[in-house]
Amino acid sequence: MTGIATIGGAEAAQRDWDVLVIGTGIGGGTIGRALAEAGLSVLFVEKGRTVPGRDESPLDAAIADPEARRVRGGWPDPVLARIDGHESRIFAPLGSGVGGSSVFYAATLERPEPHDFDHSEARPHPAGGWPVSWAEMQPWFDAAARLYHLHGSPDPLSATPYPALTPPPPLGAGDAAVMARLRARGLNPYRLHAAQRFLPGCRDCLGRKCPRACKMDGRSCGVIPALATGRAALLERSEVLRLVGDGQRVSGVEIRHDDGSHRTLAAARVVLAAGALSSPRLLLASRSSAWPEGLGNRHDQAGRHLMFHLNEMVAAWPGRGAAGSGPSKAVGFRDLYFQDGRRQGMVQALGVDASYGEITHYLKRRVEASPLGRFRLARESVRLPALAAARLLGTAKIFVGLLEDLPNPENRVTHDAAAPGRIAFDYRVTPELHARRRAFRRAIRGAFRGQWPLLLGQAPDPNLGHGCGTLRMGRDPKTSVTGVCGRVHGVDNLWVADASVFASSMGVNPSLTIAANALRLAGLIVEDRR
Amino acid sequence: MICVVTGASGGLGRALAAALVAQGQRVVGLGRREAALQASKTLIGDGFEPMTCDIADPAAVAASFARIEAMAPISVLINNAAVYPRRDILDETPESFAATVAINLGGTVACTRAALTGMVARGEGRILNVATFADIAPLPASAAYSVSKGAQRIFSRALVADLGDRFPGIVISDWLPGMLATSMGLPGGLPPETAAVWGAELALWRDPTLNGTVWERDRELPPPRSLKRRVADRLLLRRPVPARRLGLTGD
Repeated sequence: MTGIATIGGAEAAQRDWDVLVIGTGIGGGTIGRALAEAGLSVLFVEKGRTVPGRDESPLDAAIADPEARRVRGGWPDPVLARIDGHESRIFAPLGSGVGGSSVFYAATLERPEPHDFDHSEARPHPAGGWPVSWAEMQPWFDAAARLYHLHGSPDPLSATPYPALTPPPPLGAGDAAVMARLRARGLNPYRLHAAQRFLPGCRDCLGRKCPRACKMDGRSCGVIPALATGRAALLERSEVLRLVGDGQRVSGVEIRHDDGSHRTLAAARVVLAAGALSSPRLLLASRSSAWPEGLGNRHDQAGRHLMFHLNEMVAAWPGRGAAGSGPSKAVGFRDLYFQDGRRQGMVQALGVDASYGEITHYLKRRVEASPLGRFRLARESVRLPALAAARLLGTAKIFVGLLEDLPNPENRVTHDAAAPGRIAFDYRVTPELHARRRAFRRAIRGAFRGQWPLLLGQAPDPNLGHGCGTLRMGRDPKTSVTGVCGRVHGVDNLWVADASVFASSMGVNPSLTIAANALRLAGLIVEDRR
Repeated sequence: MICVVTGASGGLGRALAAALVAQGQRVVGLGRREAALQASKTLIGDGFEPMTCDIADPAAVAASFARIEAMAPISVLINNAAVYPRRDILDETPESFAATVAINLGGTVACTRAALTGMVARGEGRILNVATFADIAPLPASAAYSVSKGAQRIFSRALVADLGDRFPGIVISDWLPGMLATSMGLPGGLPPETAAVWGAELALWRDPTLNGTVWERDRELPPPRSLKRRVADRLLLRRPVPARRLGLTGD
């Protein structure tokens, strides 16, 4: 993975690009590759850096120094999170570098369900449906699954074939035992859909950068193949500050290189793919006489409808057959995806085993949230029950249920003119979500009955790596920011290709949908150029 | 693959180079004194290549490492070269003090930085820094030595902080060979050839769990545990990981 070629700001400014792509994660990497392969010239503009050599950095929230975070490809600064009115500055699981957050992801690319996109009487859609139907998306899901070398087995509950999936390598003994226990409970487990090529010596680089082109992410499956066409180039260490233009068109992108110098790149077409927490921030920061409320924000919709998944983690002990087999992220099931009229989501192995320390951590957080939390001794006392739990459970497998979040206009990315580069959001867990969460937790506990299920975490745990919905697609400009073509309403040459455009958060990991939609938009942009 | 040993013109460096060659390694030995380096070559024979280089001179180090990488990838670097001027602080000038630091600390930094270029590209490598206890309780007339060798140990820890999570295949350890019967050591000390067998074994041991470890002679020095930690471990029936030993495999 060494030697990703970059160009300097001066060279980037001299050349005429068909498309400027802002951000190089799943969305930007995928669309840039598709555009370059279709013959367009593409400039990737990336805030972060390329990394030297065979870097294997994990994303570590404990590293706080911004420079140390930058060289590792992490988002350098804390995010200002207002959750239920409580403000905190936290290091979110966000990347900033070539490949964006995806270089750290667990490469689980799951296809959504039809009701994630389509409205029906039986399964009403929280946004009235996406403006693009599941059936229209299906060929793009297949295309993305092939592009990302998805290995896995089809969900037995799905009515639609999934020929793009490649059979995965054989299951380890531990995971086979996990699967057997779930089947015995009457569930329908399947092999998770992994964007991994499983090259010889594959070490499952989940949560850290893969030093080879084995894990498929925005870098290995997007930027690098795009550069290989000879029609794309990468401008790193360049933060986009704002987009400039005349109302109908974006004419340029103002950037700051990390040496502090500024430059405005001319743009024929711009694809915004900075992620759901940053893309709306850039539009809001692009306030000008042409766009007094911010770009694409005439109806005060940019940044609203922010959604996360709530992570519901459960430790389960599948039995002796699974003991000591090591963690893997191989198995999931969708039996709880939609129950009794409730949108819930899928459950999947998290790819970590419960060590004593992790269980301690969760129990500690549980005590901290209680009135006892003021007493340090009480916090320390959880170590003893945790030890008992660790002994009882041995190496427990951790599963996570992804609970769908519904769009709420009050949950939003905010923009502060005094700190325009800072990611900030305001998010509340609605009573509706609390209620659905309780039901989902009950259902998860039931699914793992007989396996000593221990639900970890007491407070709702929004997955800040799964943000979406902040520039949502829709037909009505009064309630959405982008149209069915991913283009910002009222702007001719600006598209959005990340999870910002999601109309709903769905019950699966967002990456496959981001990639599939990016491929769909690439086709539309190619048409636009003709 | 090549092992680079600094300070290979005598003492422990020469013995380390010989021990590595005896293990079938190809060794480039750096040193300032050409004649003494040639003597090492005569003594060790095939497998040892002398390269005259003043490690206090960053340009010379960069040139030497470029030459070595052109021969073959550097798999091991042993930062062994050091000077111990035995000088009272009242006899030091800022310049004489800085000259010692330039060799003991600056040389380690320069050689490490140069070796890292290839190691980072390959995602693997081994760096062994020869260290001392001099910084814990400096002896009289050892100010520049103690300060620079102490700083070298901090440098090892800083290297692990910068690289440990990103390049787990680049394994960095400190090794304290103990008091040796060399010109820098004491007549009653350990023969450098004895210590060098341990040092060579440690340098060729690539287990990623060795990253950040400290070794004295033939055994691992576990990181100090606070009293609180020890009590907590006792309460939780947690046993500290036993220290590892060298020289236990084969005879």
